[in-house]
Amino acid sequence: MKIPISLVVNGATVEAQVEPRMHLGDFLREHLRLTATHLGCEHGVCGACTVLIDGRPARACITLAVTVNGAEIRTLEGLQGDALMETLKTAFHEKHGLQCGFCTPGMLVSAWDLLKRRPDIDEREVRVAMSGNLCRCTGYQGIVRSILAAADEAKTAESV
Amino acid sequence: MGGTRAEKTVERTQGVGTPVRRVEDRRFLEGKGEYLADLNIPGVVDIAFLRSPVAHARLKGVHIPDRIRNSVVLAGDIAFAKPIVAVGKAKGFKYSEYPPLATGRVRFVGEPIAMCVASTRAEAEDMAQACTLDLEELPPVWDIDVALRPDAPPIHDGWDNNLFVTTEIKTGDLNAVKASASVVVEKTMRMARHAGVSMETRGVLAYYDRRLGELVVYSSTQFPHVIRTILAQSLGIAESTLRVVAPDVGGGFGIKNNFQPEELAVAALAMKIGRPVRWIEDRREHLIASPHAREHRYRLKAYADKAGRVLGLEAEVTVDAGAYSVWPWTASMEAGMSAGIMTGPYDIPVYHGRAITVCTNKSPLGPYRGVGRSGACFAIETMIDAVARAVGRTPEDVRIENMVPPTAMPYRSATGKLYDSGDYPEAARRALAAIDAAAVRARQARGEPDGRLIGLGVASYTEQSAHGTAEWVARGLPVVFGYEPALARFTPDGKLILFVGIQNHGQGLETTLAQVAHEELGIPVSDVVVRHGDSSVSPYGMGTFASRSMTMAGGAVSRACAILAEKMKRIGAHLLQAPVDSVTLADGKVSFGAQSVTFAEIADAAYLHPERLPTGEEPALEANAVYEPGRSTGAFSYATHACVVAVDPGTGLVEILDYVVCHDCGTMVNPLIVEAQVVGGVAQGLGTALYEEIPYDENGQPLASTFLDYLIPGPAEVPDVRVLHMETPSPHTRFGIKGMGEGGAIAPPAAVLNGINDALRPLRVELSETPVTPERILDAIAAAQENAR
Amino acid sequence: MKPAPFAYIRPASIAEAVRILADGKGSARPLAGGQSLVPMLNLRLAPVERIVDLGGIAELRQTRDDGTSVRYGAMTIHAAFEDGEVPDASNGLMAHVAGRFAFRAVRNRGTIGGALALADPASDWLVTVVALEAKLHAVGPDGRRVIPAEKFVLGPYFTSLAEGELLEAIEVPKRPKTERWGYCKVTAKVGEYAESMALALVDRARGTARVALGATDGAPIVLPEAAASALRGEAAQSLRETIQRELVAAERDFSRAKLAMHATTVFRALRDAVSS
Repeated sequence: MKIPISLVVNGATVEAQVEPRMHLGDFLREHLRLTATHLGCEHGVCGACTVLIDGRPARACITLAVTVNGAEIRTLEGLQGDALMETLKTAFHEKHGLQCGFCTPGMLVSAWDLLKRRPDIDEREVRVAMSGNLCRCTGYQGIVRSILAAADEAKTAESV
Repeated sequence: MGGTRAEKTVERTQGVGTPVRRVEDRRFLEGKGEYLADLNIPGVVDIAFLRSPVAHARLKGVHIPDRIRNSVVLAGDIAFAKPIVAVGKAKGFKYSEYPPLATGRVRFVGEPIAMCVASTRAEAEDMAQACTLDLEELPPVWDIDVALRPDAPPIHDGWDNNLFVTTEIKTGDLNAVKASASVVVEKTMRMARHAGVSMETRGVLAYYDRRLGELVVYSSTQFPHVIRTILAQSLGIAESTLRVVAPDVGGGFGIKNNFQPEELAVAALAMKIGRPVRWIEDRREHLIASPHAREHRYRLKAYADKAGRVLGLEAEVTVDAGAYSVWPWTASMEAGMSAGIMTGPYDIPVYHGRAITVCTNKSPLGPYRGVGRSGACFAIETMIDAVARAVGRTPEDVRIENMVPPTAMPYRSATGKLYDSGDYPEAARRALAAIDAAAVRARQARGEPDGRLIGLGVASYTEQSAHGTAEWVARGLPVVFGYEPALARFTPDGKLILFVGIQNHGQGLETTLAQVAHEELGIPVSDVVVRHGDSSVSPYGMGTFASRSMTMAGGAVSRACAILAEKMKRIGAHLLQAPVDSVTLADGKVSFGAQSVTFAEIADAAYLHPERLPTGEEPALEANAVYEPGRSTGAFSYATHACVVAVDPGTGLVEILDYVVCHDCGTMVNPLIVEAQVVGGVAQGLGTALYEEIPYDENGQPLASTFLDYLIPGPAEVPDVRVLHMETPSPHTRFGIKGMGEGGAIAPPAAVLNGINDALRPLRVELSETPVTPERILDAIAAAQENAR
Repeated sequence: MKPAPFAYIRPASIAEAVRILADGKGSARPLAGGQSLVPMLNLRLAPVERIVDLGGIAELRQTRDDGTSVRYGAMTIHAAFEDGEVPDASNGLMAHVAGRFAFRAVRNRGTIGGALALADPASDWLVTVVALEAKLHAVGPDGRRVIPAEKFVLGPYFTSLAEGELLEAIEVPKRPKTERWGYCKVTAKVGEYAESMALALVDRARGTARVALGATDGAPIVLPEAAASALRGEAAQSLRETIQRELVAAERDFSRAKLAMHATTVFRALRDAVSS
């Protein structure tokens, strides 16, 4: 039995009929072809599926699509052009914060939220706060450097 | 030819040795990478595998409800697909078959039995749940010890025991060593079985392209050409009618470097039903049924003199290879490789090594970053520490004194390997200086205010990389990975496409191979496209594994581009009416003094205005090359890892306070990428050392099947790793490059364990098993306390 | 890993939710933040015919300062405690606990009521409400009742909630300003479930002390002797022995290693509460 839902995804209203068992990750990927959000575990641990639900990062793989009826969802695709996100992407490129790229969208969304809430964060705090996003390639060093560089850049941009 | 980089008359700002930022980043940062699950093929149906819930049983039948009978595919429905056979050439290697879908017997929890096909994965899983299996359970062979009991049921038909094969290496006179040694140290150690855990799981998507008359198989694989060969053989079709494509691959690490039953089953199904079919592995499948890694047991005996100089070594490595032999490596590669590198960076002239490969009812064991070397390093490095303690000297000193000195290079090891170049003692000295061993010892003596115990752990290794024909023949595999190709092709508008046979999945090869082209041609990296991963697009190559790609593909790209460079000069000189010997290639131009002609102008002439070419010059602007290093016995990268650990005796928790790697991979093409490969490897090594384990119970059930039980290091667990570079070029490779992708993962289990044992020595605790969990530490401390009473 | 099919309903009120759960006779399960339930559904570990989404019931998210206690709505997300968006009855302990388990993305959706009702023995809230002497407000087909936290958990994943009963609020008495808390938690890695977790509350001005141990594979354990011993200012060695004795007497069949770990966390939580 399908349930009708209406939600805003990356600024556009979307209406669909979904089975209750469909999770938000599959809804975004299969229904809307927004494939930046990756599925690494489907039980809420790896963080590859991190998206923003009503402005807060959440795991799309353990959010039933029916439960976000009426909510506002933003994926990495929908954060394109955002000043902080562009700063983060530039930093990830400069500081070699990615290798295979699979964990990267989730990393960027989580890091974006982190720097919004805690712009003065230090290295240890970055490591602890980003624990919900697993990476198997980088050993995290490039990711941490990228986030710290983006934090510095964002502060400089603000004070200009 | 090889050795140091050629004299440069022109500056190469993006060439070998420069930290160019990665070309491939853009699509990944935009979220526009296209991994297997992202491919949009209209009409695709999803597959869920029905897998064995038991470790060992006779499969009598599968009961499928009538309403879904046509949606469930059994072995008999794809009987034309031949089973996977990976038999090594070593004497006595037992024959076995690995069917794409189980027939007659199931041999590990998770073995594929049937494919359920539906328009969504959820519905396919519903079908799998609706089926019931008629299984007659057999006694599970859940452990090496169980497998080796005389009454253990043989897992494969026709076998009289559960040994795949045993091999030996015997060099030198062990009896003479036994007689003259002052000190004998014996140790047993073990490493737990674990999984590879790429962030992207495996997956296969197959369909029939009716226009080209070929079967197209997308697979998240590290070696598409080789998969094409074996898949065509297994399906009974001509290789020219099969295309295998690796799209963007989210990490491989060796787990995606095998011919999988699922690849064969899905491809066979696509042939049969003519619809696009897709299987995306889920995480539980990955942890249970993807090839596993690392389960080794060691018994070592070292014979040394009073100073701790090791005169001879006896080693026995037993590997739990699981139920089936993986293709193409065979079940015995892990044990064989371990026994084959056991003396490590040390000058140990006498060596008797035995490699025992055992069959059990577990997921097959395959190569995983470092492969057998991680276990061998674990064994010999904990041994060296033990020898040092036995003679009352520091592990640091004993280690360095036993190492092969640079003056001995090239050095033939007692395991039969030819170390090409390097200064192992210097790497060790630098690592120890960077970790400030003296300061650590002083800190240990002072004690910590919070009661934690400090330890210093060191481990060294040497790593065979980019080995070619001779080495693969020696390993007795069904295929020999002897070379790499490259096709370098200019387009009429003056840009370059490099078609290569390796498969980039995080190593930055879309950038570094372009850097090699820049080195040869002076073409800007942004004007170079690297195409890989598609058997229909690239010349036949072996893929990415064994730390080979940069050396092999880099060598081939260099050769092909060098040919093009000469042609560019000839045509450019002609267009400039200048002497050929006086023109230079740089910045996308051929120049003579102030005059220049662009690559676009030259390419335009070569393709579309051959009347402008010099007499006798053929049109077109592309070149093919193949490459193998001057010696196919491998280029040996090496390193010493040193770490400082703090062990909390109250909780068993281990913190890595400092971690240093001093490594030497010859000439580095891109230091930024090299450093990150080392750090990524160290993180995985820390996983092996402290967190990762898939235990099996006495029913053969895996006890860690999700990320709720299976832990990999996160950002708070991996310290900042300080990487020091040495560059001793290989005498046998282009630019002196050596492979280095795996090294970071080789030493950490040994370094960390040595550190923990160093910390816990005052409590009379010595651990010898990975992962070193808090429970194991607390238990060992409690046991030592009870013994003391 | 996709769930088996199930029906879905989103009641607008507590009464409606209770009625649906009672009608469902065990085959209907309430869905709070989903951070534990949806993984179980994805893994097909929990056969469920119908999910009752509590997310639409505004009352369950409301928090009230009642003067001597704070009454937290059961659907308050962990991040609300972490960020100080709700009043704090615990001198900062609840905010400290909330910011240190799982991951931010989980804390943005998971709820205190959901965690308590599931009663995963390693859940941080379980030992926290026991330490804070909270009262859990339940509502069901037979009406409302109040369950003291210490009587709430009966075993692993097993609470005293009856069939069809829901948690609607967690009432935490405001702890005295003179009280100090100590917190010690061991996880295999950051964000993982606790292997051992102890919370101590010591008020030397009033002469009270309390320590509770969680992640014990069952209900949290309160250790009165250890608390009294710490309050008396006993020397470390004596305190450790008391803790050891009391843990063994709890008859929980701890492994040798786990016993050592629990003894450590209890000791350190008490030591920190006493010395702060």
